[in-house]
Amino acid sequence: MDFSIRAANVEDCKDIARMITELAEYEKVTDQVKITQRDLEQDGFSKNPFFHGIIAEVPEQHKSKEGDGKNTDSNRNKTTVASDKKWLYLCFLGKGIGKALMSKVAQVIGSGRGCHQLNFTVLDWNKSSVDFYLHQGCTDVTTDMGYHYMSCKGEAMEHLAQP
Amino acid sequence: MDFKIRPARKEDCKDVSRMIMDLAVFENVADQVKISHEELERDGFCQNPLFECLIAEVPEEHKSKDGFTVVGYALYFYTYSTWKGRSVYLEDLYVMPEFRGNGIGKGLLSKVAEIGKEKQCVRLQLSVLDWNTVAREFYATRGALDLTETEGRHLLRFEQLNMDKLAKGASKERSFD
Repeated sequence: MDFSIRAANVEDCKDIARMITELAEYEKVTDQVKITQRDLEQDGFSKNPFFHGIIAEVPEQHKSKEGDGKNTDSNRNKTTVASDKKWLYLCFLGKGIGKALMSKVAQVIGSGRGCHQLNFTVLDWNKSSVDFYLHQGCTDVTTDMGYHYMSCKGEAMEHLAQP
Repeated sequence: MDFKIRPARKEDCKDVSRMIMDLAVFENVADQVKISHEELERDGFCQNPLFECLIAEVPEEHKSKDGFTVVGYALYFYTYSTWKGRSVYLEDLYVMPEFRGNGIGKGLLSKVAEIGKEKQCVRLQLSVLDWNTVAREFYATRGALDLTETEGRHLLRFEQLNMDKLAKGASKERSFD
């Protein structure tokens, strides 16, 4: 299947927000998604962005079944299928898109920015994701070295921030 | 004990580099430290810095037995959650052993949280080694949740060699910004 990988631009935020919600549904945590398309636009496309995004896109003739809808928004017609979270519609799995996205991230941060390692987290029950990443050559530093991932949020962070 | 927490300056990088090595020795991974104060100066004090750093400093009369007044640091950077938004990641928090028990670690941690909140970050995250029970307790008593234990979150990593291999497969199409 023909697809292209490119940098996300601000107009992609609507599609990215859509796919973030879908990924959260898959991980059974939809109620935890608090950010919106507007947050993505502000945080990813300002002078000092908090993140960068990479998009995988298919040509019009391969668009997902939802692309047949009545929405005439030009963004919809672009039919972006994945973001830097590599969420792929089922019909687009197995086409090398996930691997292409990972490769692009590695290229951008490696030769592009001089980074020496790529770190991220995955839930241990998400076997297909764990297998995908291990197959690409990463190591599980939680299993191998005993690193635990910790988070301080909500009231705990408020309390911590008191002088 | 009197101490001050302040943002690091470029000239602090030699002290930070010293303490990074001390922390790595403690974690039994000294051979993995590949950067020196020069990389810290380049990456932390450029136009778009890759990290921020806080320093804990004591007055001259309380300097360490080796003569140092910079006795602790916290190095952190901003990350992003596609569910919650802006986050801050605490990469290192370290206080020289002879200065522990004086609230310096708590002071550094609180300051990172305060700065994060000013930037509208909604959470502070970090990693800790499972055998480092002192550190685990330090963070747990201050409200940090262990996501590895509670939800099975694992930290994965591509080291340089495998990252380069992965990058070789990237398309040569339009350049990225």
